[in-house]
Amino acid sequence: MGSTRLSESLTTAREAGLVACRRCGQVDVITAAQCQRCGSPLQSRDDSSLQRVWAWLIAGMIVYIPANLYPMLLTRTLGHTSESTIVGGVIELIELGSYSVALIVFVASVVIPIGKFVAIIYLAVSVQRRSVLNMHQRHRLYEVIEFIGRWSMIDVFVVAILSALVQLDTIATINPGIAAVSFALSVIFTMLAAQSFDPRLIWDASRKAR
Amino acid sequence: MSDPQTAADMNVRKSRDGVSWVWIVPIVALIVSLSVAWQNYSQRGTLIDIIFQNASGVRAGETVLRFRDVEVGTVEKVSFDAGLTDVIVSVRVDNEVAPYLDDDAQFWVVQPDVSLRGVTGLETVLSGVFIEGTWDRDPEFAQTEFFGLDGAPLTTLDQLGTAVTLRTRDGSALSKGAPILHRGIRVGTLETPRLSANGESVIVEGFVDFPYDRILTTSTRFWDTSGFSLSLGAGGVELDVNSIASLIEGGVAFDTVVSGGDRVSQGYVYDIFTDEDAARNSVFVNPNSQTVEIAVLFDDSVSGLTKGSEVRFQGIRIGQVADLSAIINESGGPADVQLRAILSLETGRIGMDPDTTQEEALQFLADYVENGLRARLSTASLLSGSLIVELVEDDAAVPATLDLAALPYPTLPTTEDAIADVAETAEDILARIERLPVEELLQGAIDLMASIERLANDDSVRDVPAELASLLQETRALVASEDVQGIPPDVRDAIGDFDSLIQSFVAAQLAEQLNEALNATSLAASNIAEGTKNLPEISAEIESFLSSVNELELATLVAEATSTLDAIDALVSSDATQSLPASFDSALVDARGVLAAAQSFMASEDLQALPSDLRTTVNDLNVILAQIQSSELILKLDDAIASAASAATSIETASADLPAITSELRGLAEKANALELEELVNEATQTLASIDALLGADGMDALPENLNQSLAELRGLLTDLREGGAIQSLNAALASANSAAQAVEDATIDLPALIERANALVLESQEVVDSYSMRSRFGAEALTTLQEIQDAADAISALARAIQRNPSSLIRGR
Repeated sequence: MGSTRLSESLTTAREAGLVACRRCGQVDVITAAQCQRCGSPLQSRDDSSLQRVWAWLIAGMIVYIPANLYPMLLTRTLGHTSESTIVGGVIELIELGSYSVALIVFVASVVIPIGKFVAIIYLAVSVQRRSVLNMHQRHRLYEVIEFIGRWSMIDVFVVAILSALVQLDTIATINPGIAAVSFALSVIFTMLAAQSFDPRLIWDASRKAR
Repeated sequence: MSDPQTAADMNVRKSRDGVSWVWIVPIVALIVSLSVAWQNYSQRGTLIDIIFQNASGVRAGETVLRFRDVEVGTVEKVSFDAGLTDVIVSVRVDNEVAPYLDDDAQFWVVQPDVSLRGVTGLETVLSGVFIEGTWDRDPEFAQTEFFGLDGAPLTTLDQLGTAVTLRTRDGSALSKGAPILHRGIRVGTLETPRLSANGESVIVEGFVDFPYDRILTTSTRFWDTSGFSLSLGAGGVELDVNSIASLIEGGVAFDTVVSGGDRVSQGYVYDIFTDEDAARNSVFVNPNSQTVEIAVLFDDSVSGLTKGSEVRFQGIRIGQVADLSAIINESGGPADVQLRAILSLETGRIGMDPDTTQEEALQFLADYVENGLRARLSTASLLSGSLIVELVEDDAAVPATLDLAALPYPTLPTTEDAIADVAETAEDILARIERLPVEELLQGAIDLMASIERLANDDSVRDVPAELASLLQETRALVASEDVQGIPPDVRDAIGDFDSLIQSFVAAQLAEQLNEALNATSLAASNIAEGTKNLPEISAEIESFLSSVNELELATLVAEATSTLDAIDALVSSDATQSLPASFDSALVDARGVLAAAQSFMASEDLQALPSDLRTTVNDLNVILAQIQSSELILKLDDAIASAASAATSIETASADLPAITSELRGLAEKANALELEELVNEATQTLASIDALLGADGMDALPENLNQSLAELRGLLTDLREGGAIQSLNAALASANSAAQAVEDATIDLPALIERANALVLESQEVVDSYSMRSRFGAEALTTLQEIQDAADAISALARAIQRNPSSLIRGR
């Protein structure tokens, strides 16, 4: 309840009749439509935020399914063609004994995206329910999600680099599979979902509740 | 506080209150994902199961299915069936080929294969194995479960050609993939040989490619070409080797020997014959002809008789031995083992209708058996000792019947075998030689010598020298007769006249002209001598001729000589020949009579008069020779002789080649020594046989008698000669010759007078010549003529020289 008390003691910009630019931090009167400094549109609260979060999130989750079912890499070595999905690649790496690499791939390609889905869902649901619990932790969670989202692209980068480098005709060829595109799209969509989230909504719940 | 809040609230509400456009994104993503998923699902093809005994190298997700080397599917799963007995390979096949996969589809795993026919499936070494499938173009009832083949079928379903079934008793020489050859060209392939259902024969499927399958008719015969065959016969050793591949892999060849067969359908059954000859011969035996089986029991060894040996009737092949076995015959007394041959007789060849039934044929044979038809073993070949079964009519045979009800086959009674043995034949010949009357022959020779001795001791023979002596005496007297003596002086006179005539010619320088002419002739002779230097070439030709003579086949000659000697031997040995000496004896007596007649003729006076005439003639010639000798002509002759000598030298040079010829002759002798003994032996063998035959011939015994008769006739002739008028005729002829000689003698008496007249004529001509010799036109003209003759001779000489130097000028005309 300390946080509640803390929030109670604060005065929000909106209560003060002000609006802050989310890009440059310039504070303006609440009626201003555009930031005086950087010209970006000003909105005290983005009420379509949650809609967009849900939309991007669902899109990201949809494309994450083929990203896991279809092969990420098409490796052709001396006539042998091997296809590996994300999870299949991780298992292969474990079988080969490269636990650390397997861990990195697993975390970057499986744990982080799924964690992001869960976290964004939690944030969106909690905002919709006007939950007043753990508001500080939720804000921190949002920041972590925004920061870490881009690192999920590590798998896509690996595929892109390998595909570009390993083109040795019949001896060895690596091509990106459908999963690479899907995964990249999934990461992009979840990043957009995280960006669409308006963290200020977290705090509004305490005000409404009062 | 509330105002700004209200304002803020209002501001918020005002901003946007509807469904955000962002929702398009997940909807599109969903639609795309679903459509991709649907597309994948709808296009993922049909799953078929192929059951393999083992699926070495097949891996799920990697191994592909190929049709005509194009990927049409991928293995999805490799699993076992319920009892773990088979491997089930599940293949996802493209939808466009799935309808064609009906019950004729074949699948096999392609693996690297190295064989004599080459290397196949090499690409699978790197890429791993793949499954190859083949099916025809007609989509029938598609199915999803197939049995895979162990290996690639040799022919694919859509390949043009004719599949045939080949049947043989021994499949050891056949292997999968072995070639089917036609005139040495590979036109097809054999599949894996397998045993027939009853295990009695080996069946192998073969496939003859289009267009060669058009050669196949019902008259086509297949035979085994594997391995090599070595045959030893009268023609020598024959080694027959086919291609190395067929040596190792085996193979069959076929040929359609006679026309008129029908086209065959797929799967027509052919028999494989053991060799080409058997295959070709079999064409003339209609394989479909009706046969009747009959058994024959032999007590003795039948070694040399084999399955397939001929059965002959009066020399004509009417069937073959179908089977050979030993059976225990317990009927009648102690059990003994007999050899049973099953004969397969072609009723068509015995002369029956093709429609004749077995019963009718057997009934016919049964009737024949009662008339004496018997079977016996007979020798087919002296060298190989192989036997045949011969059916003969034996009138003297023990009566027998053919039990038509006997099982398994009626048994044909046998008669004594007619097995000829080479050793036995040779023994016969030796026995005959042994029986030759050599001692009697020697006795005959001794008798002959004795009679000759008697002849020599005969008094009349001893008188011959004395008679000859008196004959000579009479000749001498004839020569010494006065008439003969008188001839030479007359001749001498005549020659003297000639001499003076020649002298006058000499005076007229004719001799010199003649001399030069002779010189020219001499030159010509020497040219000829040089010409004869070509003799070595001629010698060389003779040499080549000799070498060709050398190459003549002396072997035949020797063989003939041998046979002649043997014939003489046989002749001498005959009894009648021994009576020859006696005939000779009487012939000698006759000859003696003739001699006596001749002797009496010699003693006749006419003959004695002849030598004196001859003597005069000889004397005349002698004088003429002396005249010729005295003239200078001899010197010219000398030159001519010298030329002849050089010619002789040339000949000698030519004869230098004689050693070479001699060596050729020696080579000839060596060659004669090195004659092919084998041939000689063969000839000798044949000669022995022919001698044998000759000795066995009835006519030979009669020959000496004929000879005797001839001698008797000769004797009669001689007697006729002695008693008849031949001698008298001869005497008369000699007498007329004598009278002719007398006439000559008379003429010779006239000769001196004639010579005198000639002498006078010559004298006259001498005078004429003398008168002309002095500046006369005639002499000058004669001189010119002689000059011209000399010129002509010179020209001939020059021409000869020119030709000698440049023979080609004769051809070119310059």
